[in-house]
Amino acid sequence: MDERFYSRLNQYRSLWVLVFFDLPTDTKKDRKIASGFRKKLLDDGFSMFQFSIYMRFCASRENADVHIKRVKVNLPPKGKVGIMCITDKQFGMMELFYGTKLAEKETPHQQLELF
Amino acid sequence: MIKRTLFFGNPAYLSTKNEQLVVSFPDDQPEKTVPVEDIGMMVLEHPQLTLTNGLMGKLVNNKVAIVSCNGQHLPDGILLPMHGHTEQTERIRHQLNASQPLKKNLWQQTVTAKIKNQAALLADRETPVQRLNHLAKSVQSGDTGNNEAQAAAYYWQHIFDLPGFNREQKGMPPNNLLNYGYAILRAIIARALVSSGLLPQVGIWHRNKYNAYCLADDIMEPYRPFVDMVVRHIVETEDTYEELNIHLKKELLSIPALDVRIDGQKSPLMVAASRTTNSLFECFAGISRKIIYPEYG
Repeated sequence: MDERFYSRLNQYRSLWVLVFFDLPTDTKKDRKIASGFRKKLLDDGFSMFQFSIYMRFCASRENADVHIKRVKVNLPPKGKVGIMCITDKQFGMMELFYGTKLAEKETPHQQLELF
Repeated sequence: MIKRTLFFGNPAYLSTKNEQLVVSFPDDQPEKTVPVEDIGMMVLEHPQLTLTNGLMGKLVNNKVAIVSCNGQHLPDGILLPMHGHTEQTERIRHQLNASQPLKKNLWQQTVTAKIKNQAALLADRETPVQRLNHLAKSVQSGDTGNNEAQAAAYYWQHIFDLPGFNREQKGMPPNNLLNYGYAILRAIIARALVSSGLLPQVGIWHRNKYNAYCLADDIMEPYRPFVDMVVRHIVETEDTYEELNIHLKKELLSIPALDVRIDGQKSPLMVAASRTTNSLFECFAGISRKIIYPEYG
């Protein structure tokens, strides 16, 4: 197909949003708040990368802004939360291991997906 | 942002959890999840697909166009939300109260845009298009001269390099590709209309009492050449296209993501459709007099 029709979806424009958090879990209330925060991340389409690191693929900067804003609205009152965006290009350069074995990375969502 | 298109051609169980669509497979493949709000369109093709009602509720609330296909794998149904827009009832009132002269004017704009896009598509392969340009310039209010049909007759003769090609619903290939592509396009436009708070049933020109998507069929006219472009590309590059295989469907399902030029900007077709339907509402409401359509090229 003509090249010009596909310029929009490129790997430098699509982003991964990463959310890192350390939340207090000393009291029952703290634990409830922490799991509530985690649940909201899941509802928003984030998936678990490691314990307390969640990530989400966003097709554009504008879309990433929406999801970052939602994380900020739902911030728990205590605890440390970091939000970071990296391009799909950078994400793709990450090396991942299980033990010493190289592991598969999550692939970006395709605009069209066949199941 | 451009929403995602999901195509289901294998047995699967679709349910929902955490505002996500969960796809479970009958064999031991791991489950897959997709955030419901990222989905724009779902094509359900395999007879052994099961959807939960909870999932359908969430999909409909997020204005996902759900397209179901029949035994011949052709799309034959669209499921759309009842409440597409907060001001829906007011917007529908504007639509129903639109005067006959306004509707005729809108149809004139639509036919002009369609013929222009057809001409631009033919011009890509250096086919002479003076006739189409002339027809585009001389469309009258309500297209009383029937320029649309005159243009179509010339257009279908020249678009493919195939002897004896006729555009017919049940005609020879690539009619099958065109039917599939138009069904996808129709779902995109119907979805955009509903999310702009308009009734896809009540058209500005099409008024067949058996057609449930008259307005969608009106508004998709200037978009058709984009489907034709994809089909022409398939015809030119593939050895065989008699049968709609998964590879060809994949190419046709890229239609929502095509970049088109609308109002001086580049935009994915699915986003452009919403701009068009919103400008249509503004015409009905008397805010504007021009429908914004994409321009080919």
